[in-house]
Amino acid sequence: MRHDFLDRYSRLQSPIHRLPAGLKLISALLLVLATVMMPQGSLWFYILATLGLLVLAAMSTIPPRFVLGRLLMLEPVVLGFSIFSIFRSDGWPIFLTLMTKGTLSILTMIILANTTPFAKILELLRSARVPGLLVTVLALLYRYLFLLIDEGERMHRARQSRTFVAKNSQRYRTIATVVSQLFVRSTERADRIYAAMRARGWQ
Amino acid sequence: MSAIISVNDLHFSYPDGKQALKGVTFNVNEGECVAVIGPNGSGKSTLLLHLNGILPDTPSIPPSCTVLDLPVSQGNLPQIRRSVGLLFQDPDDQLFCPTVYDDVAFGPQQFGLPEETVRKRVTSALERVDLAGFDERSPHHLSGGEKRRVCLAGVLACEPSVLVLDEPTSDLDPRGKRELTSLLAGLPATKIIATHDLELVVRLCPRTILLDNGRIVADGPTLPLLSDEPLMLRHGLEKPHILLHSHPHG
Repeated sequence: MRHDFLDRYSRLQSPIHRLPAGLKLISALLLVLATVMMPQGSLWFYILATLGLLVLAAMSTIPPRFVLGRLLMLEPVVLGFSIFSIFRSDGWPIFLTLMTKGTLSILTMIILANTTPFAKILELLRSARVPGLLVTVLALLYRYLFLLIDEGERMHRARQSRTFVAKNSQRYRTIATVVSQLFVRSTERADRIYAAMRARGWQ
Repeated sequence: MSAIISVNDLHFSYPDGKQALKGVTFNVNEGECVAVIGPNGSGKSTLLLHLNGILPDTPSIPPSCTVLDLPVSQGNLPQIRRSVGLLFQDPDDQLFCPTVYDDVAFGPQQFGLPEETVRKRVTSALERVDLAGFDERSPHHLSGGEKRRVCLAGVLACEPSVLVLDEPTSDLDPRGKRELTSLLAGLPATKIIATHDLELVVRLCPRTILLDNGRIVADGPTLPLLSDEPLMLRHGLEKPHILLHSHPHG
């Protein structure tokens, strides 16, 4: 099974993909920072940033459907954070600003993740003197996330092929079992990975 | 010839109380290729993990294992892990880096070699396993056979004098098995191979150790040992087909 929902298009060939990874990482971070700090009502900035990002996305040849899909997938998170501002007396402008800021930041990160291979980003972090342990943990996270999803899916399928009557209460119990088993298995795998690292000289 | 690995009355119990090894003793000489066979749960993997000091968690005193005349003790571990290359059973446990290059380079980098030497070692290790040009690929996009060969490259890049392999051919298709077998045959290092693949044993290992229930049941030349049908059946194994009739692939 192959999972590449995080950065499916990070290895395309386009002018944006060919830009130095450091430049992309720093400008993405700066843009997110600016978006977050921008005072409410700076309409010109939001319009400019949106247009800029759309141009970048178009140049990167990432399918627009993919970008839109990812955006919709993450939008509930933004909505969840912003929704409470509606209940304030003058809440609507704040709500709209928060939604715009969140959406722009996510769009920036989607474009970054899909134009820059993760290994390159890690390399940069390492050379930028980000603590080695943190970079290692990030690398391991990226590597084993896919395996974890695979394993969960396999267990779920195996479970399903022995489920004959689908009752909702039972289904929730099954999911709970799979999740807890997954946790146990990942701790055991973590032990084996650690052994493999030590076997090649990690201290 | 001198013993490169010597194991003397090795006992080991897992924290849950399961006795995995109950007094294992053997020597391996330089250049030998030894198979360790036995049923599931007989202690093969546990034994292999002792050969470079991954187990026990704190080395026993006095150490039961000696590698290259060094007792497996805390102080000797860096030197021992450098000389003993361990190939794990599940490639996904061993391939923990985001790219193939990083993974093969991991060992040499841990030794603190200069980046130029590391690069050379990675290139030559990948060439030896027929994966030249795979540097930038992600391990989770490789096939099972490719993953296995990347693992082997990661071990070879450390230039170990002893190779310890846990089920190197499991999950491989017949061609993958044949290729890996001939790859291993071409490596000059001393080899210890735990496996259920008895054809690999017949092709590669002149000597076999049969392990069952944490004890060595038999230790001797491969052909007579594997041909002893009553012995093999008693320990959950069987006489391999390759010894019953001739094989088209030679």
